[in-house]
Amino acid sequence: MASVVRNVLKSIREKGLVSFARELREEGFLNCLSDGNLLQTKIHNIGATLVGVDKVGNKYYEKLHQTQYGRHRWVEYASKDRYNASQVPPEWHGWLHFITDHTGDELLMLKPKRYGLDHKENFSGEGDEYIYHSKGHTLNPGQRDWTRYQSWQPTKTQ
Amino acid sequence: MGLGSLASRALRSSSSSRVLSTNPRYNLIRTIVSTPELHKPEAATEAASEPDLPKRTPIAGARVHFPNPDDVIEVFVDGYPVKIPKGMTVLQACSVAGVDIPRFCYHDRLSIAGNCRMCLVEVEKSPKPVASCAMPALPGMKIKTDTPIAKKAREGVMEFLLMNHPLDCPICDQGGECDLQDQSMAFGSDRGRFTETKRSVVDKNLGPLVKTVMTRCIQCTRCVRFASEIAGVQDLGMLGRGSGEEIGTYVEKLMTSELSGNVIDICPVGALTSKPFAFKARNWELKGTETIDVTDAVGSNIRIDSRGPEVMRIVPRLNEDINEEWISDKTRFCYDGLKRQRLSDPMIRGADGHFKPVSWRDALAVVAEVLHQVKPEEIVGVAGKLSDAESMMSLKDFLNRMGSNNIWCEGNGKYLDADLRSGYLMNTSISGLEKADCFLLVGTQPRVEAVMVNARIRKTVRATKAKVGYIGPPTDFNYDHDHLGTTPETLAAILDGNHPFSAALSTAKNPAIIIGAGIFDRQDTAAILSLLNSLSAKFKNLITPEWNGLNVLLLNAAQAAALDLGLIPESDSGMESAKFVYLMGADDTNLDDLPKDAFVVYQGHHGDKGVYRANVIFPSTVFSEKEGTYENTEGCVQQTVPAVPTVGDAREDWKIIRALSEVCGVRLPYDSISGVRSRIKNVAPNLLRVDEREAAVFSGLLKPEGSGKVSAVPFGVTVENFYMTDAITRASKIMAQCSALLAKK
Repeated sequence: MASVVRNVLKSIREKGLVSFARELREEGFLNCLSDGNLLQTKIHNIGATLVGVDKVGNKYYEKLHQTQYGRHRWVEYASKDRYNASQVPPEWHGWLHFITDHTGDELLMLKPKRYGLDHKENFSGEGDEYIYHSKGHTLNPGQRDWTRYQSWQPTKTQ
Repeated sequence: MGLGSLASRALRSSSSSRVLSTNPRYNLIRTIVSTPELHKPEAATEAASEPDLPKRTPIAGARVHFPNPDDVIEVFVDGYPVKIPKGMTVLQACSVAGVDIPRFCYHDRLSIAGNCRMCLVEVEKSPKPVASCAMPALPGMKIKTDTPIAKKAREGVMEFLLMNHPLDCPICDQGGECDLQDQSMAFGSDRGRFTETKRSVVDKNLGPLVKTVMTRCIQCTRCVRFASEIAGVQDLGMLGRGSGEEIGTYVEKLMTSELSGNVIDICPVGALTSKPFAFKARNWELKGTETIDVTDAVGSNIRIDSRGPEVMRIVPRLNEDINEEWISDKTRFCYDGLKRQRLSDPMIRGADGHFKPVSWRDALAVVAEVLHQVKPEEIVGVAGKLSDAESMMSLKDFLNRMGSNNIWCEGNGKYLDADLRSGYLMNTSISGLEKADCFLLVGTQPRVEAVMVNARIRKTVRATKAKVGYIGPPTDFNYDHDHLGTTPETLAAILDGNHPFSAALSTAKNPAIIIGAGIFDRQDTAAILSLLNSLSAKFKNLITPEWNGLNVLLLNAAQAAALDLGLIPESDSGMESAKFVYLMGADDTNLDDLPKDAFVVYQGHHGDKGVYRANVIFPSTVFSEKEGTYENTEGCVQQTVPAVPTVGDAREDWKIIRALSEVCGVRLPYDSISGVRSRIKNVAPNLLRVDEREAAVFSGLLKPEGSGKVSAVPFGVTVENFYMTDAITRASKIMAQCSALLAKK
């Protein structure tokens, strides 16, 4: 704990108080005040190894000692206020869930074009535009025009 | 349907059916035959007792007319005695007896070809089955239509027909309404034996209306006979022999008849189908609405087939008095114009000259405000050529209440007088033209003005070799005619008796003079009418108690009803002094004389010529969307029936005027269509007697006062382009194609 305080004081000295406060906010320490999950992750992170960072900025940590087995790999999401498990891209999914010991970076190196489509997180509940509507649904933007007549379009004359 | 009952009788295992002899030919085991008694002809014993025959009703209400009581003969159809006049064929005798004989090549209105062999029946004492369509019935003939021999004959014919017929019913437009499909279900074998390859025939290009898939053709030659007999064009013919036989035009040529669409209906298979309708719908998805056509003044009876809000096609409906069972191409194919260029919202022209859609309330308020600012004599109303009687009645009532009586129907000539109904109707009636033996067409081209009337004249000319004289500009006729001249002076020469045609006119029993509606626009109308009056005075056979041969051929659907309702302009110079013009679907009215500051309201269904001068647009409905009364050129009143819903915010014509009258403070006293009709009853009660022809009470024309001398100006052409005459047909793409490819140059 003392080393944490020392590190904090050291970075304040190096960066100045203003940029330290900005970094504090960007790293999500302010969110920790209201978000216990994030706080717990931050506490977990102390002394853990950063295994990799994926393309969206999620950080993957591992700590093999003094951790309960099965809880030794975790992710700190890039987004500090709106995060969910679907933000983990497929290449990191296997590592995070102990399906494989290869990290996401290694998997990407193995077969760079493995995934045809870019991973997209699940936007459920994020607004009407993210809701899937089937082809005939009235909110589907690519709706067919069922008007069976063509209106006269006024043009300027005279 | 007659065919269905026939099929059920054909399929019924008839243990009581009689086989005449045990012919060794039928002892062969032939698994192809689905009628089991044919395997064991001995088992089918001759029925000893005459069965108790139920009373049969003639097919399709067929009635027999005995012109001469001595010529009645009696034949027996399946043991049922039936009395028919001499000269009828076996097939006709069977239909009188209530037996529908399957047929492909036989058609009531065409000559007999006898080449499909589907109508084979057994006749007692005849060694072979006979083709009933070509065999005259003889006294005492015993015709048997559902014996094993007849059935087997049909089955065999059907097998031969299907030999070269492609199995493409699932992709064929005729599927579901195909005679071959129906009859092969009823009379065909349950399996085929044909293992060789089928023949194929190159498709022909018959123009933008008729699609050909000639491989499907069964060579019934109905289309060939229709083209040469009814349409009067020698375009189609039969080429080759045997399996190389095919229908075609010999050299590639479009079918240039204005009746060409009818070959689609008479083709019993899917060889000739509608090109615009191709792959659009199946006939069982369509809702049929029996209504009438408004593209010309004939009022052909049609059925509008619609799917949901869309008109998919138009087919003819039988009416012996008007269109028999044909319709013109314009009637049949104008339907895509119903879906294009539609006015769907009320619009007001802003100060910048642009139209912008507004609500009905605003549009009506603007018009009412303007109406109250103009003087009553500055108000003019013009009804369009497609207007129904109800809307013309309410327009006249409304403008009369506003103080103006300057209302007319476009297309009605300046000098047309509505005082005597006989002065603007086809007094002979369309079907009555068949009795005429001498025609004189004055300034009219019936082939483009009224196709069904022309078809009737052609039928008469073909049947009786009636003489046809024509006065007018050179034009196409599809029957023999004498071009007598181009100016009204020829008429004067006929009256003098110097002209060779006056001899023909005086010797004729039932002469018919047909005047085109175009002459009522001429300066010398009065002179021409007085000439015709003198003609009817000179040729006593022209107007007799039984016969009225003086006819006017109108051009537009609205004309006759407008004249009955008295839509006649009060003053000649209505347009020059007008400040407020109400155009009710009037697109062909000349607005050049209109002052620049005049306010124009256009109430109509298409963005056609009329909207370009309009200040306010009221969207209304077309004939397929409303219930309206129309009177045709012979005075027969018919009603349209709504087939599809209205588009957008459009309303029926009379409702718009009724709403406007309320906003203007001169509320019209009717709130329903029956209310409008009871108002019409006070003005022209004949317009309520639907589907009846109300003949003119007085015959002859009104003697015009101050008849001058006829001018030497030749008669003009009234219909420039047959395919595009009104707002609907001008909006139609198919009609545009037709006029580009087929219009008479």
